[in-house]
Amino acid sequence: MGIDPKFIGKKWPPLTYEAGKEKIREFAKAIKCADPHFFDDEFAKKTKYGAVIAPPTFAVVYGAQLIEPIFYDNELNLNLTMLVHGEQEFEFYNVVKANDVLTSEATIANIANKEKLDSISIELMTKNQRGEDVCRGVYTFVVRK
Amino acid sequence: MEKSIIAQGASFRVDEFVDKYRAIYYAGASGDFNPIHIDPEFGKMVGLGGAILQGLCTLGFTAKTLTDWLGDPGKLKKLKCRFSAPVHMEDTLTVSGTVTGVSGGRAVVALTVTNQNGIEVLKNVSAEVEA
Repeated sequence: MGIDPKFIGKKWPPLTYEAGKEKIREFAKAIKCADPHFFDDEFAKKTKYGAVIAPPTFAVVYGAQLIEPIFYDNELNLNLTMLVHGEQEFEFYNVVKANDVLTSEATIANIANKEKLDSISIELMTKNQRGEDVCRGVYTFVVRK
Repeated sequence: MEKSIIAQGASFRVDEFVDKYRAIYYAGASGDFNPIHIDPEFGKMVGLGGAILQGLCTLGFTAKTLTDWLGDPGKLKKLKCRFSAPVHMEDTLTVSGTVTGVSGGRAVVALTVTNQNGIEVLKNVSAEVEA
């Protein structure tokens, strides 16, 4: 049985995440990045951002907490053993600064049933504490049948 | 005002070695502790020939290559890809990008990400950046 397309449009309650400076640095190190925008307070103060910022794909860190409950959603009942990450799309609006408080909301943007696989696209929209758009991420997972 | 490096046809190419423990560092940083990434025995058991790197870590490397080239991480506005082949520890990835169009203050960068055997590990990779 495939993933039921009736769940397109389903939303989950928003979650907030505080972007700690050291977590930002840990993430930058993990992608082997040494850009002073992420590490050097003095350098960062002189940039147009005025503070340490996060690498764009730090979006994965504040996004992960929304994806997990969807994976384990009883109604959706995804077969996790057959699930792989198929496609990814990010749109970045405003940078994340250290100590920003980010609120993200997840919506099922699409479900497609094909002969050998199903796909499910989850859209995450993130705003900061000033109400500015930060990021739109679309995570598409493929479930083999 | 510095002259922008972002012009039609401008390109870059960077190699990235995926060290033996990279997936573990990325697991800690991102929270993705799926055993297929951190447990080589599990990876073998499910037919992947060992542990594979998180696809989003490969995309993270790609974004890092772009933002290092741009000199300003805030200039990256859009990034997308399809995950087309697994990346194993001790692979060497090559990220190449070329500006294919500039208009209205934005530039489109077409990218390829291949392993040491020339296999594209990401496909349909493209970015939009502030020009």
